[in-house]
Amino acid sequence: MLFQSNRAEDDIKLIKNTNITSMSQRSIIKRVAAIFALTLTLSTLVVNSTSFAAGHIIQLTAEETQDDGFGNKLLAYKMINHKVDGVDITSRYSPEATIPGPTIELTEGDTVKISIANAIPGNNIFVPGISKQVSIHVHGVHYDILSDGTLKVINKNLDEGAGAGFEETYVVYEYQWNVAPGTAGTWPYHDHNFETHNGSEHKGLFGAIIVNPIGVPSHDKEYVLYLGDDAFWGMEINGTSKTQSKHGANPTFAATKNSNVRFHLIALGTDIHTFKLNGYKWIDPGTTNFINQIAIGPLEKHVFSVIAKNSAHYKDDNFSNKLLGMRGKFLVH
Amino acid sequence: MQASNIFSPRKLIVTIVFVVVTLLISPLALAAVHNISLTAETLPNGQVAYAMAGNEAVIPGPTIFVKKGDTVNVSLTNNTGIKIGFKVPDLKQSDSGKINPGKTRSYKLKASNEGSFVYHGNSNGKELLGLFGAIIVDKAHGPIDSYVNADGSIIPVNSDDVDKQFVLFMVGSTFWGTEISGDGIQQKPLWANPDPGAIENNIVRFHILSIGPGHTFHLHAHRWLKKDTSEVIDVKLLKEKTDTHSFTVKAGTGVGTGSWQYHCHLMSHMEAGMHGSFKVDPIGGDGASVVGASPYGRILLGTKDEPGLVTFEITDEPASWFRSARGDAIIGLPLDIKTKSLEVIAPGSSVNFIMSDTNGVHTMSTLLWPTGAHHMPFTQTSAYKGGGIVKLDTPGLYVFTCKVHPYMFGAVIVDDPDTNGLDLGNPAQEFKIDLVTGIQGLPTNSDLAIRLLRIFFVATSPVNWQDYSSGLWNVRFPTIPVRISGEPSGGIRDGGFAASLSILNVVDAPLAAPIPPLTPGVGEVWVNTQFEKTSGKTKPGTITVLDAETWQIKRKIALPEINMNNPHNMWSNRDQSIIFQTQWFDNKLTLIKRENGKLIKNIQVGNSPSHVMTQPSNDDITIAINGENGIMVIPAGTTTISKMMPTQALGHTSANPHGHWISSDGRIVTPNINTDDVGIYTANGTIEHRTAIGNKAPGAHPIAIGLMPDASKAYASNLLHHTVSVVNGDTGALLKTIDLIADYNPIAGTFADNDGNGNIAVGVLPIQIPVSPDGKAAVVAATGGQIVIIDTKTDTIVKMLPCDPGCHGANFGAKQGGGYYAYVTSKFSNRIIVVDVDPNGDGDLSDATIAGDISMVADASVAKDDAISSLAGFGGQGILAVPNVYNGWVQNLPEDWKAGLTAAQKNPIGD
Repeated sequence: MLFQSNRAEDDIKLIKNTNITSMSQRSIIKRVAAIFALTLTLSTLVVNSTSFAAGHIIQLTAEETQDDGFGNKLLAYKMINHKVDGVDITSRYSPEATIPGPTIELTEGDTVKISIANAIPGNNIFVPGISKQVSIHVHGVHYDILSDGTLKVINKNLDEGAGAGFEETYVVYEYQWNVAPGTAGTWPYHDHNFETHNGSEHKGLFGAIIVNPIGVPSHDKEYVLYLGDDAFWGMEINGTSKTQSKHGANPTFAATKNSNVRFHLIALGTDIHTFKLNGYKWIDPGTTNFINQIAIGPLEKHVFSVIAKNSAHYKDDNFSNKLLGMRGKFLVH
Repeated sequence: MQASNIFSPRKLIVTIVFVVVTLLISPLALAAVHNISLTAETLPNGQVAYAMAGNEAVIPGPTIFVKKGDTVNVSLTNNTGIKIGFKVPDLKQSDSGKINPGKTRSYKLKASNEGSFVYHGNSNGKELLGLFGAIIVDKAHGPIDSYVNADGSIIPVNSDDVDKQFVLFMVGSTFWGTEISGDGIQQKPLWANPDPGAIENNIVRFHILSIGPGHTFHLHAHRWLKKDTSEVIDVKLLKEKTDTHSFTVKAGTGVGTGSWQYHCHLMSHMEAGMHGSFKVDPIGGDGASVVGASPYGRILLGTKDEPGLVTFEITDEPASWFRSARGDAIIGLPLDIKTKSLEVIAPGSSVNFIMSDTNGVHTMSTLLWPTGAHHMPFTQTSAYKGGGIVKLDTPGLYVFTCKVHPYMFGAVIVDDPDTNGLDLGNPAQEFKIDLVTGIQGLPTNSDLAIRLLRIFFVATSPVNWQDYSSGLWNVRFPTIPVRISGEPSGGIRDGGFAASLSILNVVDAPLAAPIPPLTPGVGEVWVNTQFEKTSGKTKPGTITVLDAETWQIKRKIALPEINMNNPHNMWSNRDQSIIFQTQWFDNKLTLIKRENGKLIKNIQVGNSPSHVMTQPSNDDITIAINGENGIMVIPAGTTTISKMMPTQALGHTSANPHGHWISSDGRIVTPNINTDDVGIYTANGTIEHRTAIGNKAPGAHPIAIGLMPDASKAYASNLLHHTVSVVNGDTGALLKTIDLIADYNPIAGTFADNDGNGNIAVGVLPIQIPVSPDGKAAVVAATGGQIVIIDTKTDTIVKMLPCDPGCHGANFGAKQGGGYYAYVTSKFSNRIIVVDVDPNGDGDLSDATIAGDISMVADASVAKDDAISSLAGFGGQGILAVPNVYNGWVQNLPEDWKAGLTAAQKNPIGD
């Protein structure tokens, strides 16, 4: 079901407009039923087309974090639970809310039910003209309009997030993704609903999905690196254990000499960047060209693999970011 | 106003069929020759656009479809009032020269490469007003593109597979759209931020193009092939200047029907309104597009009955910082609007902003709006290059500003066309307005509302400035009637008080000729006459150098060789041989030789650098980057930036520091305009304290800092909160908030000693706030036209002195024989005021007085590097006395500069 709560159904409080009148449960249920039927058909098609397809059940929450010492906070996603065909793989994620958010590894053909809860203080108090919702808007994969993770003012259907939106309030909102063939790649997910219909991806609510094609060779390390307006935010994934670590700004990545590592770049915010990894060249995705730098703008992605040979700095050549020290170490030993 | 008067609707011609080309098959090859006749026209809202000859002018311009190898001959007739051209940066072109109004010129292009290409008007930024379009060069044979099907397969697309095409031009922070039939023949303008429509499974080709600052294009729930690669993407960078990206999708494939948002993914552009929806209708639906806001639509003197659009150019030009695209025409109209920065639209029409004539970064932020208006405030988290667009539904007055440059004003009156008089507030809310600082329901007949209106009409109209060389001051407001709060009168039956704004006119008020102080100052006074225009450059601003011994103007420095742009604030190096000058609407710091006013070096330092100071300990240069998130450092004796010190923790909202100050032991204190706090930083950049100010009011806008000579207290002036925050320099604790308008009743406009400090004093919109080198007084220059003196012993207001409109800069210099002068500038007058805070030196500031004033207008005898052309002496902002006599700096002066100072001035706070 698309926005079924993990709690009792009575917990799903719907607030419409300022009058805090409940939206008719019946009409919601009717809609859910229709959509459920539709998605069921879609999922059946998907399942039939790929024999290795896995089903993911994922629960995320959003919290305040990263107090700067003076009371200013950022926001972050936290992984609560991730089950793949019933197997719990939650331990690969950080138990904390992290910037960047969890990296979710998927394979073409998989299906995902991912729900968002909201742990930001005051999120359930309706304020006219301000959205307290957080959502998950994902790039790349297939989903229908009720899993867009946007506000009703954009999608013309529902305030698709957790917390008090412009018009509606949900405690938990669930999205369904069809990781269809043709969606392989690394894609960002981010909030689209906090405060305004633009959301707060620039305040920490972002993460990524890595959609691998079936049968792709694995990498020794995966580095997921986001280019923000003053720093890189990153994390490292161990290719064998899948454990995610080193979350934070301008992280130092480590690799064993001659190991096969993959960088996943995603830009965020407002700046346009020029990324460099000193001394390395890589293939520009989708081509056969070797490049040693890439211009990348907000929410673009750029994925490349290299063999770790020498320690290097990764950096941004943007005028101000360079002077702010937007760079990090890639240590090879 | 009556509907027939203002919005005179005519019928819209929905679809325009372009007979695009005349094909002449070459006898030698299959390549064709296209002869295209274009005109350039001025639209009702003042934007300019191309038209296929005989048709309506459209934005984007007509889309030209050709095949690889074809030749395109364009004959362009210029029916606009500006010099324009026709340029295709990425195709071979025989001639890209410009043509004067009324002239015709031919251009020849060779479509030697496949792809999408921008053509534009090549006219110094004016092309961003609508002179842009697309040339699509397809392969002569075979598939022209591919799409990604629901099952992941890549399906080639032939030209006859295409059901419809959309051109979406990303310009500023607005999309300009055209809907085109699959064969390219039928073209329909969709105007600004449209909702393109299609039916599920339609094959839809998108041509995304950009001109100006860069963007990223994102369409929800669809994916496509990155041009010339096998990479599947859903976001694509369009680099600055010009760039293009064409792709094809199967509408709704794998995701179904829906209102799928498309937008620029730059956060500031998203916040500036750069989005629309791709409407994918179910099979059986009409798949019709929803047209966006049109330059022909329902605006003052619009010609068609459709949602309209007014456009403001964001400029570096004094007074016209928000300049209506028809600004020159609009003040000439019988409607008598008086300013180029005011527009009138009908409810449901939109306002567009384009940063087409500025080198700075800005925000487009509402300062006030009608009570109850939806989606207000309109603002962006950080400053940027681009533009903005917002649809306004609620009648009333909306005033926009830039948070970085808070005297840039643009106003829009959304007027119900069925009533008499222009609505200044929301008719449904008794014509009241809300302010960004949290004041709600302010009646538009209140004194505060009228003062704000007066500030707007003075700031945006140089004829309303105080010109001391004329001896008279006139302020003229529009004569059109407006509806404001209050009792019905004057024959208005449906509520509101209608009056002509011109009842506020100031007529022939005398301006006394400036009389310099009797006692001379020491050294020189350097004044940023930021609006003074000279003939050798396009950007405004000079430095006026005053001899403080004689009070004569020594020199005017315009630096035409670097087109010095809005010089805002200065500081000097240790031996006083070099003046550091910021260019606030640009990205440069300029080094000038003090002795002769010659340029030493112009250095890129970041967007909208505001203030510059040196570190007393080592003479390193620190520059507040007002449009960004830190302080740049240039080590003493060098001209290269060593680092940017961030003003906030990583990932946190940009602080956008404006007028910082430095303690004698090197701690930097910044007023953070974007985060409404005061930051205290160590010399190496560690953030020690962030102190929230303005009683947590939104948008308090701390803009300048003054520091006690021992750094025990910092004073922050909060521009929009009309307060001064006193902060402990060691702990960062907020000690006191001094209310500068406590004695003012904003409704009645009456004054009384409400704060009980023994005098009536107000300071509306405070800006610079230096503390005297001896620490006795803080002097506040308030842009509402007051100088407020604060006694630092008690942190109370002890005196108010009159200043001019736009009172802005203040800084201390030595008075000959002892004591200090505070030199005070005003933006909208052409004199400086010299304040003696303690004439008898007894420490009692209640006798603070204006010692004299000095004209900033230079006569023919004054040395100049460029000829003054207009706005002589206007725009007073940053001001600097040489020698620098502040504690920490005065001790480091060379002996010859110390010679003119008293013992107390050489050591202002003793041992």
